[in-house]
Amino acid sequence: MWHDAVLVAGKDLRIEARARVALWQVVPFAVLVLVLLAFAIGPDQASLRHAAPGIFWVALLFSTVLAIQRSVAVESGEGTRDGLRLSGIDPAGIFLGKAAAVGLQLLVLQVVLWAGITFLFDVRVHVVWLALTASLLATVGLACAGVLYGALSAGLRVRDTLLPLLVLPVLAPVLLAGSKAWQAALDGNAASGTQWLKILVPFAVIYFVVGIVLYGPLQEAA
Amino acid sequence: MSAVTPRTGTMTRRPRWLTVVGVLGVVAMGFTVWLGLWVTPPDEFQGNLARLLYIHPAIATVALYWVGLVAAGGSLLYLWPRTRSLFWDRLAAASVEVGAVFAALTLITGALWGRPVWGVWWTWDARLTSTALLLLLEIGYLALRRVPAEPAIRARRCAVAALLIAIDIPIVHFSVDWWNTLHQGGTFIDPGFQIHASPSMSWTFLLGFIAFSLLFVWLLGVRYQVEVLQDAVGDQELEVSLSERWSEDTELVGAAASAPAPSTGGGAP
Amino acid sequence: MSYVDAGYSIALATLFVYAVTLVLRRRRWERALHMSEPGVEPEGAPAHGDPS
Repeated sequence: MWHDAVLVAGKDLRIEARARVALWQVVPFAVLVLVLLAFAIGPDQASLRHAAPGIFWVALLFSTVLAIQRSVAVESGEGTRDGLRLSGIDPAGIFLGKAAAVGLQLLVLQVVLWAGITFLFDVRVHVVWLALTASLLATVGLACAGVLYGALSAGLRVRDTLLPLLVLPVLAPVLLAGSKAWQAALDGNAASGTQWLKILVPFAVIYFVVGIVLYGPLQEAA
Repeated sequence: MSAVTPRTGTMTRRPRWLTVVGVLGVVAMGFTVWLGLWVTPPDEFQGNLARLLYIHPAIATVALYWVGLVAAGGSLLYLWPRTRSLFWDRLAAASVEVGAVFAALTLITGALWGRPVWGVWWTWDARLTSTALLLLLEIGYLALRRVPAEPAIRARRCAVAALLIAIDIPIVHFSVDWWNTLHQGGTFIDPGFQIHASPSMSWTFLLGFIAFSLLFVWLLGVRYQVEVLQDAVGDQELEVSLSERWSEDTELVGAAASAPAPSTGGGAP
Repeated sequence: MSYVDAGYSIALATLFVYAVTLVLRRRRWERALHMSEPGVEPEGAPAHGDPS
């Protein structure tokens, strides 16, 4: 399973390296969300500084939807999914591979978003380990849940509008906990932030396991 | 050194004027840096920080006005039937890419000037914010351009996109301006230039404009050549594969004609 | 490094690097153009070693 996962992850990442869709479309989109939310909140520097963690996570969530759609679209060609199924690769391996590829893209995205909020909203991360831990845990959860829901909506023609509707409510706890954790990290208040990791850890573990178990059956059903 | 190919003729030639512009640009840039960093005195209000004003407004002018002129103008000229030519489309596309680089530099130099002055890297003022949105729009245009399509279709699509961007930026600028002034209650923080200009400073300022403008023209020229070459290679490869198919077909026909017909044997025609 | 030095360095370095990438891209595409010409590729030319 792990070997297959590495194979699939490598394939997805190589496709991305050549097409560079995530780089030239998803990253600018994330920055765009930052700018638009700033417009929504208003030019008051204090409000923007206060809203920065929330803005970071909303931008990340919306961009995750795009990354998932891209991950699913890579195999939307005629018969590609069937080919993948018939190739004998362990479906759990496919799941892990795709989740790993998406996760890597999300990590890059978070670096860009972190730079974005530092630059645009004049904030600084004071408790780095807290921010990093929250981000890493969240990334696992977002990638696993995202790829799973991507598979759910894969064959459907309304996939593009259905996927956000399906997956965003599921990802809401990550938004919640992530914003709180990052707010604590920005304020320098580690104590109030660590409790929110208690949401992020189970979320990541649950969707990791559920993905491994359910991805195969989902593929059969699609 | 020039590489001239029989089919494409002048396409890979190095036009002399382009090289001259490039050299002049580099020379002007060198003088600007020398004057800007060493020869000119520090400003009485802003101190050494004013030295950034020898490059930031020049870069911004290129990014907003020169690029806007070429991209929007080229797109209009392409869409207008009388002047339609892929030349304008390719020129516009080249200017958008070069423009994105200049827009990014505008933001960076602006932030570096703003940080010590205002204490923050970023102020949501109209000029900076519009430039940021311009950069995002330009990235969108470049992504659109990479979608494979026939040159004419791609040209029309991109021309419309460029015109929409050109229309949109002033609207954005105006909205953000208003957004800021209403919030600030009328006193508008304009990261503008309060500087007492001595003669050497004014000349350096002007030289900076000239230097960056020349460099823009050179970069535009080279990027345009790349655009032309990319399309030419695409056409060439298409022609080669078409002619290969032709020769395959004629070979098959020749082989069929020279093979003895089984059923008619030695029958008379 | 002062803000001024940083600004000048970043601006000049970026333009220089971009210029170099453009020149390299131009060279690459020129070579690609030269390679894809029918005269260069053996498949495009009819048999030219035919003794008869």
